[in-house]
Amino acid sequence: MTIRMGFVIITSRCIDCDACMVACRSENDVPLGHTRNWVKTSGVQGQFPKVSEMFQPGNCMHCDNPPCVAVCPTGASQKRPDGIIIVEDKKCIGCKYCLTACPYDARFSNSETGKADKCTLCLHRLEQGLKPACVQTCLGKSRQAGDLNDPGSVVSKLIAHYPTRILLKDVGTGPNIYYIDEAVPDIPEGK
Amino acid sequence: MSKVYTWDQLFSRRQFIKGSVATAALGSAAGIGLLTPEANLGQGNSDQASVKGKKFVTTICEQCVWRCGVIARVEDGVVKMLEGNPNHPNNLGKLCPRGNAGIETLYSPDRIKFPLIRAGARGSGLWRRATWDEALSYTADQMKKIKDKYSAKAMMFNSTDNLSQPFFEILLKAYGTPNYGTQRSLCFNSMTTGFLYTYGTPQPGTDFSKCKYIIFTGRNLAEGISNSETQEMIEMVARGVKVVVLDPRFSKTASKATEWLSVRPGTDSAFFLAMIHVIIKEKLYDESFVNQYTKGFDELVTEVIDYTPEWAEKKCEISATTIRRIALDFAAAAPAAIAHPNWRTSNFVNSFQTERAIAVLNALMGNWAQPGGLIPDQELSTVKLGVLSHPAFPPAQGIRLDGVPWQYPMVPLAYGVIQTMRDNILTGKPYEAKGWLISRQNPVLSIPERQKTINALMKLDFVAVIDIQASDTAYYADVILPESYYLERFDGLIPIKNKIFIRQPVVEPLYDTKSSLMIYKELADKLGLGEFLPFKNEKDLLAQQLKPFSVELEVLQRVGHYEVQDFKEDHSKDFEFQTSSGKIEISSGIMAQMGKKAVPTWNEPPRPEKDHYYLLTGKTAQHTQMFTQNNRWLLEVFPENRAWLHTSVAAKIGVKTNDDVVLESEVGKVSIKAFVTEGIRPDCIFMVGGFGHVSKGLKAAYGLGASDSALHKTVTDPISGGSALSETFVTVSKA
Repeated sequence: MTIRMGFVIITSRCIDCDACMVACRSENDVPLGHTRNWVKTSGVQGQFPKVSEMFQPGNCMHCDNPPCVAVCPTGASQKRPDGIIIVEDKKCIGCKYCLTACPYDARFSNSETGKADKCTLCLHRLEQGLKPACVQTCLGKSRQAGDLNDPGSVVSKLIAHYPTRILLKDVGTGPNIYYIDEAVPDIPEGK
Repeated sequence: MSKVYTWDQLFSRRQFIKGSVATAALGSAAGIGLLTPEANLGQGNSDQASVKGKKFVTTICEQCVWRCGVIARVEDGVVKMLEGNPNHPNNLGKLCPRGNAGIETLYSPDRIKFPLIRAGARGSGLWRRATWDEALSYTADQMKKIKDKYSAKAMMFNSTDNLSQPFFEILLKAYGTPNYGTQRSLCFNSMTTGFLYTYGTPQPGTDFSKCKYIIFTGRNLAEGISNSETQEMIEMVARGVKVVVLDPRFSKTASKATEWLSVRPGTDSAFFLAMIHVIIKEKLYDESFVNQYTKGFDELVTEVIDYTPEWAEKKCEISATTIRRIALDFAAAAPAAIAHPNWRTSNFVNSFQTERAIAVLNALMGNWAQPGGLIPDQELSTVKLGVLSHPAFPPAQGIRLDGVPWQYPMVPLAYGVIQTMRDNILTGKPYEAKGWLISRQNPVLSIPERQKTINALMKLDFVAVIDIQASDTAYYADVILPESYYLERFDGLIPIKNKIFIRQPVVEPLYDTKSSLMIYKELADKLGLGEFLPFKNEKDLLAQQLKPFSVELEVLQRVGHYEVQDFKEDHSKDFEFQTSSGKIEISSGIMAQMGKKAVPTWNEPPRPEKDHYYLLTGKTAQHTQMFTQNNRWLLEVFPENRAWLHTSVAAKIGVKTNDDVVLESEVGKVSIKAFVTEGIRPDCIFMVGGFGHVSKGLKAAYGLGASDSALHKTVTDPISGGSALSETFVTVSKA
């Protein structure tokens, strides 16, 4: 079976510390003023004192049907065979079509290179057998990444055991970040 | 006369681009290290795992005081990435946002790059570059002059929790002053004294791994990150452990908890006294534990008789039904139930009583040294490093400026009362202070009533600051001795249980800076006190600390830690309580001796008058006290503090989120952006501390947000010496 790289994010384990954002900036030399990933908050919901708040980390969804790739006039935005969406810098002309096309607002124009920039799933780390920087540093083990097609992966095991949701399902992008909101007492062993 | 610089001229605004060698042009010849990657690990690490100029160096973080293990990736002499060391118990391979951001401060253009001597009026921001020899000689001469003319007590030494602190303490004792200021009375005095006078130990551990029920009151682990403890808290939540959070504000910890109780500020002890009432009335305490290990239970029974949940509801505004339910459920989970000792608790004069009530509640549950309960002092179960032998210290001359013990007889000497030290600089009572040596502490932004602290600095004859950056206190100094950043230096070794960890340079210092160890050592030499710090350099000191163990420093450097073989944890004294009675003192012997009520009791806290609000202060996960606000990576994720206003308060004054509001207390006034939320009591206003820097040397942070120290009144608990920060009330208006 082909490889399909993606994330599982367990929102119940996220404390909105933003370590993932700083680790990504450090690992990928992301310029100030931009970010490749985020933690969004629901804001405080309800009325005092019956309130709740939820934190939802995210980044490029490495979609199955990526609109960023479809609109790219030069072929710089590509979906690799393993599912990871990348921007090939030397082909990117900085037209920003992809920035507009992405319904998740996962891309930005890099002020230093002028190219479209985004999460690469830390491809360079994966090649060395390392986890993406955001996953590696996550205090709550909220962020998990791996091959969604491999039943032995942590992400597949989590998806098999817990109800998941994806963002903007109706848009038809086929995003590859699966969110789990309920409590996950144990992170399964796996690849 | 050498050139006079302003802050603007001292610091380039150029942004460092990681991977470039742009910074090599700045500062001194030390920058050459950037160009020669192989030379960068010139501390015996040549056999570290390395690939084509890529190296991994194991060290210890210093973005806060938790001391997490770090593995730094260095490529071609540039630190590219910091990751958690999976072998370190303080963080288990993870780093928080601050730990991840260490690189930004290392390469910040705002680093102090060489020693500076003031070249204009104090606080004018005019400096001249000095050599180390000149700066240290100048400092030592001033310190000697003060000692000769006024005696050693006229010189104050201040430092905060860091690895070189023990050596700073040697320097001040050798100098002979009784005046030592730390952060403790601004932080945890009520907790440490409360537990000390109950258990004989200031800060017992907590076993989260087997705990079934926990109550947090002033321990916000999602935002005041203590890495491993925060991880354990997240795991507790994930396991479905009952987590109750008492906080007037809906913190991020509260958002993860099973239950948030929006307690009225300063009334936590009513909640705990009522829990004790229920537990005693329903006979839910551990009777055999209480009989065997505690003293004063009967006195407690009498004291709490009227502290019914209905009584407490009127005080703390948590319903009697809820208090009763929590008491019953908590007792049912015991001994795997913890009322957490917390940290700053509620910042009121009565916080000592709150902590005593918490300490006693735990004792009633018999959770001491039980799975899921409190863990006895771990010091006995930690390996002992080799110590330096030095001559006996001269007797400290005179009484202390901070009022311990003559004004505060119950405050342990080690904790002190820094806010009173500051006050007595101004009053000149009981004697005039003349000089202040401050090592990496920032009293200007940490002590209440900022203006008073600035006035105190202006009054002194001499102020020297050791720091990595131009803190608000360094801004008012006469001399700044620039310390190397933690990624550039050694510090004293760190034993944790059976392992010894090392902080070591990941790269050579970029600029003309020194480790605090060598600054203290060389200052001691200039003061004629060199024999008190008997080491040639950092590695010599570390080798002496390692003497009891059969491991070479080089090996420790390479591996990052050393595991002492056949070391056994010692639990033989777990039930020997270091109190005057040898028991857990529900009724405190020392309180009785001082003529005070010996069991936990209720003290009514002050309440804000009409149109005034409680001013609450606290932490955010993205910054450390007043230390990291200049780090631009952290400013990306937390750009400034805002005043949390309840929706109804915002509506009343006509503001929405990000509108400017003015907060005014009895002692000060600030302008700050509003954050409008349902997540705070309508009678409270909250702001994260540490913003509102006044140092123009902190270019990224200067002008961002507002400082709570400009608003806080100086109120001190006479028992613990704790600074009662939340007894400051403010008005709010649209700016």
